[in-house]
Amino acid sequence: MQKEKFYREIADILEVDDLTDTDILANYATWDSLSILSAVAMIGSRYRVNLTARDLRSVATAGELYDLVAAHCYS
Amino acid sequence: MNLLFGKRRIGGLLAIVPANERSFVDEMANFNFPESRSLKLKSVMGYDKRRIVEGAVCSSDLVCFGMQHLFDSGKLGRDDFDALIVVTQTPDYLIPPTSNVIQGRLGLKRDLFCLDINQGCAGFLIGLFQAFFLLDQPSIERVALVNVDVMSRKTSPRDRNSYPLIGDAASIAMVERAEDATPIHANLKTDGSRREALMIPAGGLRCPCSRETAILESDGENNFRSKDNLYMDGTAVFNFVQMDVPPMIRDLLATAQSDFGSVDYFLFHQPNRFMLEKLAEQMNIPLDKMPSNVVEHYGNSSGVTIPMAIVHNLRKQLLSGPIRACLAAFGVGLTWASMLMGIGPLDYCDLIEFS
Repeated sequence: MQKEKFYREIADILEVDDLTDTDILANYATWDSLSILSAVAMIGSRYRVNLTARDLRSVATAGELYDLVAAHCYS
Repeated sequence: MNLLFGKRRIGGLLAIVPANERSFVDEMANFNFPESRSLKLKSVMGYDKRRIVEGAVCSSDLVCFGMQHLFDSGKLGRDDFDALIVVTQTPDYLIPPTSNVIQGRLGLKRDLFCLDINQGCAGFLIGLFQAFFLLDQPSIERVALVNVDVMSRKTSPRDRNSYPLIGDAASIAMVERAEDATPIHANLKTDGSRREALMIPAGGLRCPCSRETAILESDGENNFRSKDNLYMDGTAVFNFVQMDVPPMIRDLLATAQSDFGSVDYFLFHQPNRFMLEKLAEQMNIPLDKMPSNVVEHYGNSSGVTIPMAIVHNLRKQLLSGPIRACLAAFGVGLTWASMLMGIGPLDYCDLIEFS
């Protein structure tokens, strides 16, 4: 999976222009239950990875979120 | 589990909604969320109008009102059915059954098989299965299948996870034998290990209602609800539906030696528009074959949403001729079920308002 594309998809959900590895998700006011559900749905349909809200809340940064999805993607 | 039925039909369908309409935009202020995020939620989930009861209206009130309408309009005689199934999660009492309450209030005949079923979102299909079983008895000619919930009364107005999507409603489906009906294929699955994804924690004997269970608590995300209230783990339910429902539908169609193209309408439980559109996307079902507009007009009334989808969207078609429908429902339990059957022509297919 492409990191840039993944960040674009998450940035769309957060309604921001771009994301970098070290951006802390919880710092965005838009990283709420709706965004988390949208991210769960996007990750499920685009990457065929089923994560829970708890999984997504367990990571701090955008980079860690990417690593989490990539680990499931390639496992 | 696969099920197979023959010689059964739905004869008529009536849905009952409270006249009291609420609007999501008017109620947004109840939630501790920025307005822009609530509006985003509205557009993604399809929250708009919904119907909920005003005051202490109970399940049997909606159902007696609907039954009386059928009697008064000549669509149904008081003695024209031999069983009354009531599928509800909001009974009038713990004891006695709501079906007995309705039989007594309406003064129905004593030769009536009354049965309550505690089921939620899958309740229309579970109820139909039970109605089909009962029709094996020669003395049972017709079954009144009632689905009803007044879940707004068990939902916290400060819980944005559930309050804005809940609607109250009832439906009455008359189920009967039909010699010329095509075979009805169905399947059903249960996973009680995930039972806590949708629940009302207090009020049964495991955790009786008390002063403590009525205290509103934060879930850490600005939602406040008590243990007396409905709890819904939104993403767990979402994942369950997206993972388990498509394989069930594919199995159903394979068992029936049928395919997606042969189905006129996919009439699914209506949790919210988002979940239905994601399901349609996974199975490549065109959106015009899968109604997803019940939540925006009436709210999610658990077991009543499939009847609501039918009366709201398909009244004309069903009064004039048959459709081949794939029904699917999923939720509380967890329970999920699907069914392939011909529906129509119906003797009536109406929506009335309770006030």
